[in-house]
Amino acid sequence: MTERPTISSRWRTRALIGVPAILLTWAAFRPPDSNSRDEDKFTVVATTGQVGDVARQIGRDHVNVTTLMGPGVDPHLFKASESNVIDLIEADLILYSGIHLEGNLAEVLEQAEKQIPTTAVTEGIPEADLIMPLDDSFYGNPDPHFWFDPTLWTMATDQVAEAFAMADPANAEEYRANAEEYKVEVMALDAWAAERFVDVPEQSRILVTAHDAFGYLGRRYGLEVAGLQGISTSSEAGVRDVQNIADLITANEVKAIFVESSVPRRTIEAVQVAVADRGWNVAIGDALYSDALGDADTPEGTWLGMMRYNIDTIVSGLTGEDHTT
Amino acid sequence: MMAIIPLALFGLDVSWDATLRNVILGSVILGMTSGMVGSFAVLRRQSLIGDALAHAALPGICLAFMVTGTRSTEVLLIGGALSGLLGTAVLLVINRWSIISMETALGVVLSVFFGFGILLLTRVQHGGDAAQSGLDRFIFGQAATILPRDVTIMLVVAVIVLGVLAACFKELKVLTFDPLFAASIGVSPPLVGALLSALLVLTIMIGLQTVGVILMVSLLIAPAVAARQWTSSLAGMVLLSGFFGLVAGVSGSVASSLIDRLPTGPMIVIAATVIVALSLLFAPERGVLSTWRSRRTRAEHFRTILAAADHHGVSSR
Amino acid sequence: MTHVIEARDLTVAYHESPVLWDLDIDIVEGRATAIVGPNGAGKSTLLKAILGLVPIAAGTTRVFNASMQQVRQRVAYVPQRGSVDWDFPTDALDVVLMGRYGRLGWFRRPGRSDRDIAQECLDRVGMGSFANRQISQLSGGQQQRVFLARALAQQADLYLMDEPFVGVDAVTERAIVQLLHDVRDSGKTVVAVHHDLESVREYFDDVVLLNVGLIAAGPVAEVFTEDNLRRTYHGPTRPDMDRPGAPARAGSEMVPVEALLR
Repeated sequence: MTERPTISSRWRTRALIGVPAILLTWAAFRPPDSNSRDEDKFTVVATTGQVGDVARQIGRDHVNVTTLMGPGVDPHLFKASESNVIDLIEADLILYSGIHLEGNLAEVLEQAEKQIPTTAVTEGIPEADLIMPLDDSFYGNPDPHFWFDPTLWTMATDQVAEAFAMADPANAEEYRANAEEYKVEVMALDAWAAERFVDVPEQSRILVTAHDAFGYLGRRYGLEVAGLQGISTSSEAGVRDVQNIADLITANEVKAIFVESSVPRRTIEAVQVAVADRGWNVAIGDALYSDALGDADTPEGTWLGMMRYNIDTIVSGLTGEDHTT
Repeated sequence: MMAIIPLALFGLDVSWDATLRNVILGSVILGMTSGMVGSFAVLRRQSLIGDALAHAALPGICLAFMVTGTRSTEVLLIGGALSGLLGTAVLLVINRWSIISMETALGVVLSVFFGFGILLLTRVQHGGDAAQSGLDRFIFGQAATILPRDVTIMLVVAVIVLGVLAACFKELKVLTFDPLFAASIGVSPPLVGALLSALLVLTIMIGLQTVGVILMVSLLIAPAVAARQWTSSLAGMVLLSGFFGLVAGVSGSVASSLIDRLPTGPMIVIAATVIVALSLLFAPERGVLSTWRSRRTRAEHFRTILAAADHHGVSSR
Repeated sequence: MTHVIEARDLTVAYHESPVLWDLDIDIVEGRATAIVGPNGAGKSTLLKAILGLVPIAAGTTRVFNASMQQVRQRVAYVPQRGSVDWDFPTDALDVVLMGRYGRLGWFRRPGRSDRDIAQECLDRVGMGSFANRQISQLSGGQQQRVFLARALAQQADLYLMDEPFVGVDAVTERAIVQLLHDVRDSGKTVVAVHHDLESVREYFDDVVLLNVGLIAAGPVAEVFTEDNLRRTYHGPTRPDMDRPGAPARAGSEMVPVEALLR
């Protein structure tokens, strides 16, 4: 004898079938996300903030740029999350920094490259222009922080313009024109920076940070750069390293050392204590941007703004104009 | 005090400055405390509880950062301590109310908490706050950057932990040796067990900065195992274990100051491991070498007797 | 006739099936009582339930007509020798000294008099010269005697012992029995989970036959019969266990009863 289905059991059956069906339908046909593309824009996914910035400067209204790494994120350690991978797969063009900067993204980028045009903005930079660290601090690879040298940054600008031109030939001329405009601004900053560094006395031209990120900046503007750790922040400092830096600072009477936004303040404080022990006093300058840009809605959220801020901060720290301990 | 130590230590090029002093002080405090507290964990066959608790601290550190936005070590460590204690509570509950073994429970707590911590860490990395990093330092530690105020905190915690250990020594002793008997005289195993776990959590807190979450367990286990080989009383073992921890702290710190790019935390752990290896091999009576030697001597002894018996015709024939 | 221990409707269950079921037991003061039954009968659990070491599902226990918390200092518990890791770094005297902890309370250290008492107890069990011997170097019989000395050091009125004769040599066994009888003769009460049916008559005054539920209890002469033993070790059910949810536990020993009584 079969029971007649009661009212409640009927509804239960409907729910069991209906709810998943509705969900699946919705998932299949749901409207695209807020990152939705306009018909006349193409989507660019950039890894670091810097790359994202130059992409925006050149692409302007024609591109939608998504940046994977936010402000303060360490590109050496960054691991792609699932939503990152989705962004990459849905892109029309992928731009990354290169020279092994995005260490943990190598595989993901390799996979993406099979289906989507992927370019390192550093592709066009000749090997000879890159800095090879004397020690093993980047596992035998060159220093990847090329963007601190405006001349190299202009090369990256060209690389991006060409990548855009290939992806969207209709607007190729515009991209190249935007690139030229941008390069003018970049070189103007370069000239201004050179002027600023004139204010720093010869023997004070030592930049000490907890991170060997500023090799290119030092080379361009005649600063000696010393860091506590290797270029990749995943390595841990040893006691000897701290002592060495303290010796260097004291011997050269450096007035300020700098904390980057992506490195623990403790490390810098430990150096300060060591220096004080040697009878010198070094201030902690304001934070510098080493691996990333600042927050998106601040001036330091662009390369130009970031460079201006960094150079102002370094100069005032080294000349002793502005002390923050 | 340290200033009177000669600059050339055994002819090694050691630079005795404030950095090395602070690092040594911190490592010594940590080594001593974790050696002593670890003795009880090892004897209770719960060595891995320290591992589970250390891993359980990670989500607390991340949450402390996410809630307060501070990078002040003290606040982060309090967060770590709280989630470590939560892990302890979960362990106790699982132990009491479920049939799964302690080992399984440890594995579960370790994985779940640590996994959650990594999840939070990844979220923080993806966030827009430009001051978020430094949290992943707690995974591997950053011993070389121990500051004077860190040493102060560590000293306060160590005094508390060792004070409690001394005051409750006999309760811990009877509980570790014979929990059933202990319960029968009113020393409640859950209570004292929880106390021991709390001491472990506090010790782990001061260790997180030095050797980090992953290596912390070795400082809890190695000195205790080493000490066990040399001594025959509990008090002796605890004190010797503290001493071994101290030695490991000093050696690791000094070693790290001799060569560039030698991270301090792992060096301390290596020093502790060397001490264990030497103890297991060379301790009298319990060491491998000693056992081997006495076995050989005995075998020779028996051979001699049997040969003499044969010679004198003492046989079944 | 005073009852040192009174259990009423005592039931202990860990998961689905009970380990002890509806026990009504009285232990008489000043006598030596054996607790006997097959494996899994709940004998150890009975001691632990009396001591408050395991949660009780139903029923009550009273010791010296009070709750266990109130009279802890009058009760000495000797757990099974195998429940302890004897590789612990300590010596025999130290173990016996633990028997004094119950009287010290938190924070106090054992003193001179405690040490003297401990040494005396070691002497009484014939282990006086082993005071500083590592417990890992003791034989089974010696370990058991150290446990016994610890119990004596507690200066208790009631001794609860879990299988004190297991793995012990004949000489030690005789010595322990003599000691237990001395303790009983001085007016104390001894209750022991006992594994060897052959010696029950000789060593004990009373016996409790247990197999999850109570089979029988009372003086050995009356209660330790072939019939009762068969019911304890062989019977699938007891008559008064036929109620819904009651366990049907078969005896686990398949040895003929006559052999047990030889």
